[in-house]
Amino acid sequence: MPTLVSVFDRPQDIVSAVKRLRNRGFTDLETYSPAPFAEIDDAMIEKPSRVRAFTLVGGLAGVTTGYTITIWMANNWQIMLGGKPFSSIPPYTIIAFELTILFGGLMTALGLFIVGKLGRKRDPEYSPRFSAEEFGLVVRCQDRDVAEIEALVRDNHATEVELVGA
Amino acid sequence: MTPPPDTAATMMRPAPALRDSQANIDLLRVMDGISLKYLMLLATTVGFMLLAGGTWVYQVYKGLGIAGYAHPVFWGAYIVTFVFWVGIAHAGTLISAILYLFRAKWRNAINRSAEAMTVFAVLTAAQFLGIHVGRLWKSYFILPYPNQRGLWVNFKSPLLWDTFAIGTYATISIVFFAIGLIPDIAIARDRATGWRKVVYTVLACGWQGSSKQWKAHSRTTLHLSGLATPLVLSVHSVVSWDFAMSIVPGWHATIFGPYFVAGAIFSGFAMVLTVMIPVRRIYGLEAYITDYHLENMSRFLLLTSIIVGYAYLSEYFISWYSAVEFEQTHFWMRAFGPYWFSTWCMLGFNGILPQLLWFKQLRTNIWFLFILSIFINIGMWFERYVIIIEGLSFEHDPAAWGLYTPSWAEMAIVAGSFGFFGTLFLIFLKLFPVVAIAEVKELEIHQRSHEGGTH
Repeated sequence: MPTLVSVFDRPQDIVSAVKRLRNRGFTDLETYSPAPFAEIDDAMIEKPSRVRAFTLVGGLAGVTTGYTITIWMANNWQIMLGGKPFSSIPPYTIIAFELTILFGGLMTALGLFIVGKLGRKRDPEYSPRFSAEEFGLVVRCQDRDVAEIEALVRDNHATEVELVGA
Repeated sequence: MTPPPDTAATMMRPAPALRDSQANIDLLRVMDGISLKYLMLLATTVGFMLLAGGTWVYQVYKGLGIAGYAHPVFWGAYIVTFVFWVGIAHAGTLISAILYLFRAKWRNAINRSAEAMTVFAVLTAAQFLGIHVGRLWKSYFILPYPNQRGLWVNFKSPLLWDTFAIGTYATISIVFFAIGLIPDIAIARDRATGWRKVVYTVLACGWQGSSKQWKAHSRTTLHLSGLATPLVLSVHSVVSWDFAMSIVPGWHATIFGPYFVAGAIFSGFAMVLTVMIPVRRIYGLEAYITDYHLENMSRFLLLTSIIVGYAYLSEYFISWYSAVEFEQTHFWMRAFGPYWFSTWCMLGFNGILPQLLWFKQLRTNIWFLFILSIFINIGMWFERYVIIIEGLSFEHDPAAWGLYTPSWAEMAIVAGSFGFFGTLFLIFLKLFPVVAIAEVKELEIHQRSHEGGTH
């Protein structure tokens, strides 16, 4: 399958190229950018990131664990302290609060690795220039579409277009 | 498969030489080469660290008797320094999380170094818990683990809340720091050679800046900021409850939470200035960490100094207004008792001296900021000294009063903690980009692509 790698200088150019390609029905796209640009990511992926689900699950697990271990442990071997109830919610809320953040934060980090597909080999199209200041757009397409795509990205101020992997 | 049609795209050009961004070149250069001055500085900090390490080993062997504890003061310089370092650790998360949520873009220049300082300061602080308990080999008793005695820890104790708060804070600040580093490590990976290439390739976790990765990364940063903001406010509140939950005069105050948090942010910003002003000068980073950034930080210093100064005054007011003799005596002894020197250092360096920052000429004077930040560090150490030592020295019954002086062992370990912090920071300077390159570039590219564009 032919793969077109085009290079852009400005984020707004790659955004309009992505939008036009997607309108034309080319969906096998990937972009590389040297810095976070929400407009590029939003043009590529419309849905909000699934990382949010990880944070929620982690936070809920943390708050549950916090209250469960404190209440269970205090009642497992009851020791009267200051005449206060064994299941004292106010002090245990501090433990539950800290564990909410601890578990939520760790799950968020795990979410980044899973959702962002980290810990894998880089794509062959990736180049160190995309960690300098240029933007890369990779389109996988049918042979008959190469000319159209090339014209389209050049129209959007692509500075270079290269055909790899015919 | 049919051969691709003959278009301009099929004519493979030789790859042009890498057109690198100026930010990459300038900021990665900090990591290159090790000068004699750097080695001398590193030798000094490692020397202090070894001094503290040796003293600690001796203390473990001899017991806490070599510390200056004297009845009734059994919380000494170790706890003072623990609270001091936890306070220092607050600037990083404030800059990374709270200023991120407020979309204060100027944080981009300083967030990396501040986050690094947070991690190193928490690691330094955490050691003081082990140093303070004396019987280091029993410090795991603080964790709720199943044991043969069937005993569990006391979750109603502020000391246990502290364990959970500090543990969470250390973990989350390391996670925050590491996740922010990944794109910058990828930048370093693409330009490194030799062993560095291998290390950065592993640490970058295959980062390539794809839309999927950036989208997840932005969302992760947002969520971690949302989690870290209440965390940073809670950590020093919980530390303050170590004192406020007791009934010791001078400690038993509801103001302690916000008072400690403001003090922590105050001291943390001071430490960021103390460290970053020399780094900026030595590595010529004036284009990235500009006078504007330093001035913004000094405004924060002024704001938090006012809050801290207000807390000092309201403590005095409340003790007078309470008509409780023990409280009044405590605060009289603070200002005019045997520890008057510490108290006036605290009031002068934290409350009065920073008021000079009302003047723009001084806010923009780098030398002044540097010297002021050192005075604030000293003042904030004395603040904890005043609160902890005087609280214990002059408890209710005058017959039970007693004075405390730090011993040589405590002073050596306290000095060594600065060596430990300095060593970690110096190593960090040579291993990772000291300024968040990707975030600096985000601003640069935005600016560049909206100047005279054809759109």
